[in-house]
Amino acid sequence: MSDTDKLIDRLSTGLEQARPLPNIDLMAIVWLLASALYVVAIIHLTGPIRPGAWDQLVTTPRYLIEMIFGLAAIVFVSLAAFRAAVPGAVSKGFARWGLALTAIWIGSYVVGLEYPTLEPSMLGKRHSCFHETLIYSIPPMIAGFIIVRRLYPLRPITTALGFSLAAGMLPALYMQIACMYSPDHILQFHILPAAMVGLIGAAAAWPLLRARL
Amino acid sequence: MYATETALTGGSTRVSSWMTEATSDNDNARWSVMMAAAQQGDEQAYRALLGELAEVIKRYMISRFGYYDQVEDCVQECLLAIHRARRSYDPKRPFKPWLFAIVRHKAVDSFRGQRRHQASSLDLASEEELAISSQEMEDQLTQGQLIAALSPDYREAITLTKIIGLSSAEAAARLDISEGTLKVRVHRAIGRLKSMLEAEHHE
Repeated sequence: MSDTDKLIDRLSTGLEQARPLPNIDLMAIVWLLASALYVVAIIHLTGPIRPGAWDQLVTTPRYLIEMIFGLAAIVFVSLAAFRAAVPGAVSKGFARWGLALTAIWIGSYVVGLEYPTLEPSMLGKRHSCFHETLIYSIPPMIAGFIIVRRLYPLRPITTALGFSLAAGMLPALYMQIACMYSPDHILQFHILPAAMVGLIGAAAAWPLLRARL
Repeated sequence: MYATETALTGGSTRVSSWMTEATSDNDNARWSVMMAAAQQGDEQAYRALLGELAEVIKRYMISRFGYYDQVEDCVQECLLAIHRARRSYDPKRPFKPWLFAIVRHKAVDSFRGQRRHQASSLDLASEEELAISSQEMEDQLTQGQLIAALSPDYREAITLTKIIGLSSAEAAARLDISEGTLKVRVHRAIGRLKSMLEAEHHE
């Protein structure tokens, strides 16, 4: 009996049931919806949103498009990240869509530094928006780790970077409604902490996910 | 209970006659059914599945990297990974992309991880013996499509350090290059192998 045969024998003897997890896209969507609801709820609970923000979505199409790109980026990044936790489930093309949409979303604020979508204003400023974005992202990020630990991410750092970034982008996006609108403020106080959450997640991936491979 | 033992027996025979990438849709569907049964705790189906996959993975490794001592170790690493990952397989998805994503990953990992596995015996070997061993090894390795596709510099670096098991310093001295250069070549060679494996997957 070869070593490989012995290994097969050892692995299959007394095999325990390992029920497959639900469809990965479904898990990603459930995580995303639950995280989005939590973020919206906590932002509303911790302070008023910018007066007139909802009206601006209707009256300023570019603002609406900006928000739609942000939302689409979050959806693609989340799906790509969770798919990456299942061997062979994610394609490079799909992951690139997520990156491209994120780049377009952030790029729109960079363009906005010169040609702002809305008249920059301090109206509705939340004094701790940087810390809020950072802190509100943590529970969705932890939930992401809990889900992904049950799967098998072959690239744990990329996977964790993806869902942590999505976790950070959720409050960052909603801050465009809840907090003051000014592209430099958005980049510095909303998007920067979201990027930091992505990096924190990537750093945590090594001890939390790599050891399981 | 997995009820198609005859299919399993037939499958095992067929395994020996086909190359990995030429696995038919039938095999794909059959493995999917076997894994689904294994997820329900069916030992017999799982044993049969792992037996077939061990053969498939071995052929895959040899066709890509040629025959080297660590092929068997790599096959075992793959089987362990498949065992750990089995919960992540969704029976509604095709089996092969799931399987080969794991195999590719472990193949590259095996090249990253091999260090001085033969060093103890080689420490005692003469230069002449080592030269013969190196040449034989290289002949066997170049039967592998991907190793053969590497540039000679990268192929030598990989062969001496990751296959024969020399230390970086020993391999660098043998190739008459600095240790830093050797490490760069090994790193790039592994990167190149990884890219080639992924390119195969996307073709």
